[in-house]
Amino acid sequence: MAYSDKVVDHYNNPRNVGTLDKSSTEVGTGLVGAPECGDVMRLQIRVNPETQVIEEAKFKTFGCGSAIASSSLATEWIKGRTVEDAMAIKNTDIVKELSLPPVKIHCSVLAEDAIRAAIGDWKKKNGVAETAAAETSAH
Amino acid sequence: MLKVIDSAVPVACWSCSVAHNDATLFCPHCSKIQPPPGSDFFSVFGLTPRLNLDLPELEHEFHRLSRRLHPDRFARAGENEKQWSLADTALLNDAYRTLKEPIHRTEYLLKLHGAEIGEEHSGKDRKDPSRVPADLLEEVFELNMQLEEMRLERTTGEADPVLQASLEQAKRKFDGLLDEVDHDLRAQWQAWDEGDIAVRQSAQKTMVALLDRRRYLSNLVRDVTETLGV
Repeated sequence: MAYSDKVVDHYNNPRNVGTLDKSSTEVGTGLVGAPECGDVMRLQIRVNPETQVIEEAKFKTFGCGSAIASSSLATEWIKGRTVEDAMAIKNTDIVKELSLPPVKIHCSVLAEDAIRAAIGDWKKKNGVAETAAAETSAH
Repeated sequence: MLKVIDSAVPVACWSCSVAHNDATLFCPHCSKIQPPPGSDFFSVFGLTPRLNLDLPELEHEFHRLSRRLHPDRFARAGENEKQWSLADTALLNDAYRTLKEPIHRTEYLLKLHGAEIGEEHSGKDRKDPSRVPADLLEEVFELNMQLEEMRLERTTGEADPVLQASLEQAKRKFDGLLDEVDHDLRAQWQAWDEGDIAVRQSAQKTMVALLDRRRYLSNLVRDVTETLGV
């Protein structure tokens, strides 16, 4: 099965690979895994406390090309968005952008889970209650 | 959740017209070869789905059926029978390969009973999204980071002996965890084979979780082994 050009591009030149300081209150960390294939993905965000805008996003993924591309794309998309805006990103958007085949859809789900987990961690650190909307839209 | 498998759909033999169980490769009445049955792999061997199998017996039956199905025996047979000998052989091979290997057998049986296993199941389709073994994730991630560092050091030719030792230790640990999972799986086999519906359902759930855990562990052991070259 051939990967789409966009997947190959993200795989060869992943954006925003790296680590943010986990202990910082401005940083939210999401660590998620896909039991289907054993992939693990860590996505971190640094949120501006004044504006709630995600100013920095970093990821580190151990997995297949689609998982790396999905998380790379996810960091690109959430950068510059507010936390609430970032919650609106759906795995189906990632599937469409990267033309993922059905067997690789779980990679995009993993990326969506990672965004939510990172935001959830940041909210927990900063005492922000999960909004009802976010709760119901999560799966 | 527990799907009932009805492998005993009666089908009339194409040759003698006597009805037989759909799963059989040869008509029990006239011994003529039958088209590939649409039933599960277990019934190809005349077994009801179960996890503890007598492997020497399975192998014996595999060889016996393989000989009976061999295309050479159908050289003078009709076109249909020739085709069926090939198709039945392919089915028999798939069935044997799947059933003789313990993890494949377990996954296959769980899938037969409706478990969502394998890459075709995206997280969204999963009925139970909380399947990820959270306690393992952190460790898996850290070890992957170490592995990457090790590979990087290798390319510049100066592998750190401390890192090497720590990876070797990690490998022993994960080998041990893998053994534990396999041991736990076998205990569930027994429960599934001998239990009533409630016991089976609980065993199925436990096995799906164990297999998830196992996938992480076996990937890790594979990667560590590759990197260490041991």
